[in-house]
Amino acid sequence: MRWRKLGKLFDPTQHELPNDCVQFAQAPQALVFDDFVRIYFSTRSVDPDNGKYLSHIAFVDMHKNLCDVIRVSDKTVIPLGGLGCFDEHGIFPMSVMRYGDAVYGYTCGWNRRVSVSVDTAIGLAISRDDGLTFQRIGDGPVLAASLHEPCLVGDGFVKVINGVFHMWYIFGTGWQRYLPDAAPDRTYKIGHATSMDGIDWVKEEGRQIVADRLGGDESQALPTVIGIDGRYHMFFCYRQSFDFRNNGGRGYHIGHAWSDDLVNWIRDDEHPSLEGTPGDWDGDMQCYPHVFESGDKVYLLYNGDEFGRYGFGLAVLER
Amino acid sequence: MFRWRKLGKVFTPQEVEGRSWLKEFAQAPATLVFDDFVRIYFSCRPPADEKGQYVSYSAYVDLERGDLFKQRAVAERPILSLGGLGEFDEFGTYPVSVIRNGNEVRAYYAGWTRCESVPFNVAIGMATSRDGGQTFAKHGAGPVLPYTPDEPFVLSGPKVRRFNDTWYLWYIAGRKWKRVDGRAEPVYKIRMATSDDGIRWHRANKDLIESRIEEDEAQASPDVFYANGKYHMFFCYRYSSHYRGKQNGYRIGYAYSVNLTDWVRDDAKAGIDVSDEGWDAEMISYPHVFELDGKTYLAYLGNQVGRHGFGLAVLDGKLE
Repeated sequence: MRWRKLGKLFDPTQHELPNDCVQFAQAPQALVFDDFVRIYFSTRSVDPDNGKYLSHIAFVDMHKNLCDVIRVSDKTVIPLGGLGCFDEHGIFPMSVMRYGDAVYGYTCGWNRRVSVSVDTAIGLAISRDDGLTFQRIGDGPVLAASLHEPCLVGDGFVKVINGVFHMWYIFGTGWQRYLPDAAPDRTYKIGHATSMDGIDWVKEEGRQIVADRLGGDESQALPTVIGIDGRYHMFFCYRQSFDFRNNGGRGYHIGHAWSDDLVNWIRDDEHPSLEGTPGDWDGDMQCYPHVFESGDKVYLLYNGDEFGRYGFGLAVLER
Repeated sequence: MFRWRKLGKVFTPQEVEGRSWLKEFAQAPATLVFDDFVRIYFSCRPPADEKGQYVSYSAYVDLERGDLFKQRAVAERPILSLGGLGEFDEFGTYPVSVIRNGNEVRAYYAGWTRCESVPFNVAIGMATSRDGGQTFAKHGAGPVLPYTPDEPFVLSGPKVRRFNDTWYLWYIAGRKWKRVDGRAEPVYKIRMATSDDGIRWHRANKDLIESRIEEDEAQASPDVFYANGKYHMFFCYRYSSHYRGKQNGYRIGYAYSVNLTDWVRDDAKAGIDVSDEGWDAEMISYPHVFELDGKTYLAYLGNQVGRHGFGLAVLDGKLE
């Protein structure tokens, strides 16, 4: 298997975005319809109170050729949470999944802290209008910090397999100050939980399911899972936990693992691997992967440099 | 109506010397009875920092079993450390509830973190002592009771009990943050969860006690005690705004249940109110009922939610 890169697909700065958002189209997530593909992403506005970012969900509908844009959402897909709620300061990302007549959106909600910048948790919002708008099932999260997953539970990706809901997500293992004057940095790993209804989840509680490549300071993010020829493949991104923003060698790259039993995962970043193209839009960083099937093909959506400030691109799997 | 006879203030944190972390407040008393003394856990604070913000620790005072107004000892150090950077209990461990479990003592406690848009968030952690309740080791760096869709924030005030081989946790869950005069004030309601092991909890997912004084009434300290064929809950409640003085401040309420799930509120029966003057004249809160040598006691906080300590009352008659 290998990825053939198809180039950048969507640049948010070339479109009008809802919620006064101007840049960023992060963590693209596909919902495939008969005659088009809806791709959700997180874009950003600026909080007038303090100049900090607020992430909002928007989408772009594309022709099934995955080349031509039909339209960009012009309304709020899901409002941010209320005062003191886990998703008050942003939703990034939202992973979508059809279930019956509904579309389930698993949100990663952000709320700001004082001693560290942020905490996150995973919420559930449900759409009854084919994904145009989503309504939360409650003000709080369905998956949050617990005994052995003390912070930063987020990036949920859900798939129903043999009647069981499986969620792959990330949990924080802790915050650390790597230099005396540096802001605290976080480390997170990929975990797994199951559920019978998509609402009440049982975590494996602190089990890191994918081995580190960079050692204990590796942060792993945004798992996405797909079955190909009877084997499950997980794609995710990983980076060093410190000095990862502007130092290409330490920033995000795409990782891969496979499993035949959904319990044991074998890490194998090289088969298939996705490399950046030096000097191009994804030359320094490749992050926030999402795999999906459309027609008879398997595609990979992902972000490039600057965590997706200028959009996302596409690759197709060749077998 | 129950007849509680007030015995006066039994512990004053300002009288303790040599502990930089214990200068004021002795909140949320919770007892652990030993052969010849009664250990009362409470939560206390060092002075506020330069921004006026507090951290809180939990500790205990040992009182003579034969005379609860005689102090034997005060904890030399906090029973729990504050959490590390970014952890849920980085800025406080308050309140704490303890229970014996074989040779161990288990504590459930509320951990405090600081937030940007609201002043704080709270979650419930768990810790175990193997030295008779002097020091506790946390079970994990995170909370034992996670937030849920229906209980989105401010999970606090744990009270752990065991009835009929089942673990029960009464606690409060935040309902909303209400803006009052530019300040975010939390509204919370009394909730319950059950467990076979005290670690994996199943929530009742309902408000146990109906609100009485207003829809946004805040309820706290759900203290459950079994006596004479019924479960008795003493708790405290306050208005959602301007509650830091006498008018809207905490009072003690009462409810009873025969099945632990369905509760009938009957505040008129509580039988304890603010005094005309003195340390508990403005508010009374954080009730805790315990039985000792044939008598039933109520420990509770007075003015400024226990800034100056807690007191005791003794029941004339029976809880029935």
